[in-house]
Amino acid sequence: MSEQTLNGDVSRRSVLKGAAAGAGVVAAGGFLSAGAGAGAASAAGKTVSVGSNQSDPAARKSDTAWVAAATKAGFDVKLNTVDHNTFQNQINSYLQGTPDDVFTWFAGYRMQFFASKGLSTDISDVWSKIGKDFTKGYKTASTGLDGKQYFVPTTWYPWAVMYRKSVFKAAGVDPASIVTWADFINACKVFKSKGLTPVALGDKGGWEAMGTFDLFNMRTNGYKFHVDLMGGRASWGDARVQKTFTNWQSMFPYQNSNTLDLEWSDAAQLVLQKKAAMQIMGAFHASIYTDAADLADLALFPFPEINKANRRNAVDAPIDGYMLSKGASKNLANAKALATFIASTDYANAVLSVAPTALFANSNMPASDNAFVRQQVELVKSSKYIAQFLDRDTRPDFAGPIVGPAIQSFLKNPSDKAKIAANLAKQWDALPPA
Amino acid sequence: MSSTGTELTAAGAKAPRRRRRSNFTKKDRTVLFGLVGIPTILHVLFVWIPAILTVLLSFTFWNGIGGIKEIHWAGFQNYTQIFSLYEAFPKALRNNALWLGFFALIPTPLGILLAYFIDKNLKGSKFYQTAFYLPMVLSLAVTGIVWDYIFRTNGLVNSLMGDTSVESATSWFGDPNKNIWVVLGIASWRHIGYVMLLYLAGMKAVDPSLHEAAGIDGASDWYTFRKVVFPSLRPVNVIIIVVTVIDSLRAFDLVFIINRGRNGLELLGVLVYENIFGESSRIGWGAALATMLFLMSIIPIMVYLYQTFKAEE
Repeated sequence: MSEQTLNGDVSRRSVLKGAAAGAGVVAAGGFLSAGAGAGAASAAGKTVSVGSNQSDPAARKSDTAWVAAATKAGFDVKLNTVDHNTFQNQINSYLQGTPDDVFTWFAGYRMQFFASKGLSTDISDVWSKIGKDFTKGYKTASTGLDGKQYFVPTTWYPWAVMYRKSVFKAAGVDPASIVTWADFINACKVFKSKGLTPVALGDKGGWEAMGTFDLFNMRTNGYKFHVDLMGGRASWGDARVQKTFTNWQSMFPYQNSNTLDLEWSDAAQLVLQKKAAMQIMGAFHASIYTDAADLADLALFPFPEINKANRRNAVDAPIDGYMLSKGASKNLANAKALATFIASTDYANAVLSVAPTALFANSNMPASDNAFVRQQVELVKSSKYIAQFLDRDTRPDFAGPIVGPAIQSFLKNPSDKAKIAANLAKQWDALPPA
Repeated sequence: MSSTGTELTAAGAKAPRRRRRSNFTKKDRTVLFGLVGIPTILHVLFVWIPAILTVLLSFTFWNGIGGIKEIHWAGFQNYTQIFSLYEAFPKALRNNALWLGFFALIPTPLGILLAYFIDKNLKGSKFYQTAFYLPMVLSLAVTGIVWDYIFRTNGLVNSLMGDTSVESATSWFGDPNKNIWVVLGIASWRHIGYVMLLYLAGMKAVDPSLHEAAGIDGASDWYTFRKVVFPSLRPVNVIIIVVTVIDSLRAFDLVFIINRGRNGLELLGVLVYENIFGESSRIGWGAALATMLFLMSIIPIMVYLYQTFKAEE
């Protein structure tokens, strides 16, 4: 359910900091623009089918652009676009049926899940060629539990506090001064006194506020506890989860009351229309800004520090990309060649030409000159830990049907938080073995 | 006497045919098999076998990936946990019951009432008939989208009420105490036309001489309807009851479009969907919900049909 708009914007590669380390390496952009494929019988027109969940008009444009580039590189791409939510809901039967050779998917737990079930194809040999174009963090995010690679990362976006510079200026709040939770609440008070909704939140879909939970939890209890909680090594009944909820509760007076009535985009509209000051959102928040002047007014700052020990050292930065289905084995050479192409700057440049705010995983993409995009890159570079997103970091049968409604209950009746968390713990324990 | 003669002749002519009926020819049997056998096979294959498998799956753990060896026996655990842990379940049960009660009390009688008036051939009755039936032509999914625009925070209703601000506008779909009633209203808007049409069709088939006879005996229109027409419409009444029960229990599309059936709009059908579809489905859990839903729909209907037809004999 997470959104996957490419709007993010742009650029620079080095991201995923954890990675930082040596990674980079040179590599000329477009080293395989010749369509060098993994030994594909390089007959003209290497036919590969691609299943895509990019059904939004903007995302569809990106698909069209890179498919055109792939065609130029000698591929015959059969693109099969399915409505985003439908794609997600049917992924299970899709992958077990007759899936396309290559399909859009997400890094992290969700990738590992299908890899471990044998529903995707190992592309470690592709990584031996493309590895030099990605930092280590991306390779880790593309690696299954068995140590092999199953995923080609393409784009990513971070979660942060989105705001309009003009709104902050008018209220006399300096975003750079907001570091601690107290700073943040003080800013909220100022906005409230000016008649604005300080924080716009929409959770009608049941997934949007997961990003807010992630940030509160990582700030309150640290990245380690967060991943332990997601992985089931810590319990939702833990007192630390209560602390996270308590901290979130302190923001309730400053967030709109009808959170369950609004989708993320409705809440984002409030920021765009200057009725709300901030939204804690993925950078795809920008996708509703159709006017260039509004877009230039958009900025972000990292979610504030809550617990000194954790500073602002962690962020959700989900990575989107592609996997090879199990069915690709019948067309392995071509599918791997296309995976290599998707990893290339040819792919990224094609997408960039229609989605100027997209942020690419490939290290060879030049730095963006877009300020909002640069902020995102900085944010991720300055974060020590990168999480994906709640519904990408924990069991999918737990995240969507169980955590989603639980967070909605919390938004409705925050005082029930102990009961809600206790029930989450019991439901986790009741899950069948994965 | 002469009449006996005629009867005899007629009987004589029919006799061989009657004998053949009890002793089917090959052709008869082929036709019968084609008309009854094939649908039965298809029905068993695509309805009963999956239904039975669903019941079996409800006693297992399975994430929907891999074959039979991935399916693990769970005993009654799915059921006990649904009752003890699943917060959405009691809400869904309550909403389905509410839906059924509301449908039985409001739109169904209203539909019958409309049919009664339209059947009187009022001026413009064709227009009313079309107007009331129109919602039924739209799929519930379309209905959901249209009404979403009417009731959303900045939608038509709030605009007319003059408050579309996020902070203070009435939250028609977001407030769990209100949204189910809004949804029931929308569903009724659709159901009324359906009941009306079914009923109208039935009433057109009522022998007009019954009306006349009642009229001559001095019964009023309404009295005739209650004492003469209504009882003679027993088959239509059965259909309407069955349709109402089934529609209430399988309600899904509308709430799914509005907010995926959460936050006050939980329904059993949605819970089944939520648990079975998706990346790592809990097939056993969803199957247990589906089994309960199945029993809830089939038991009352079977009891009702059995009693009705028994009484008829």
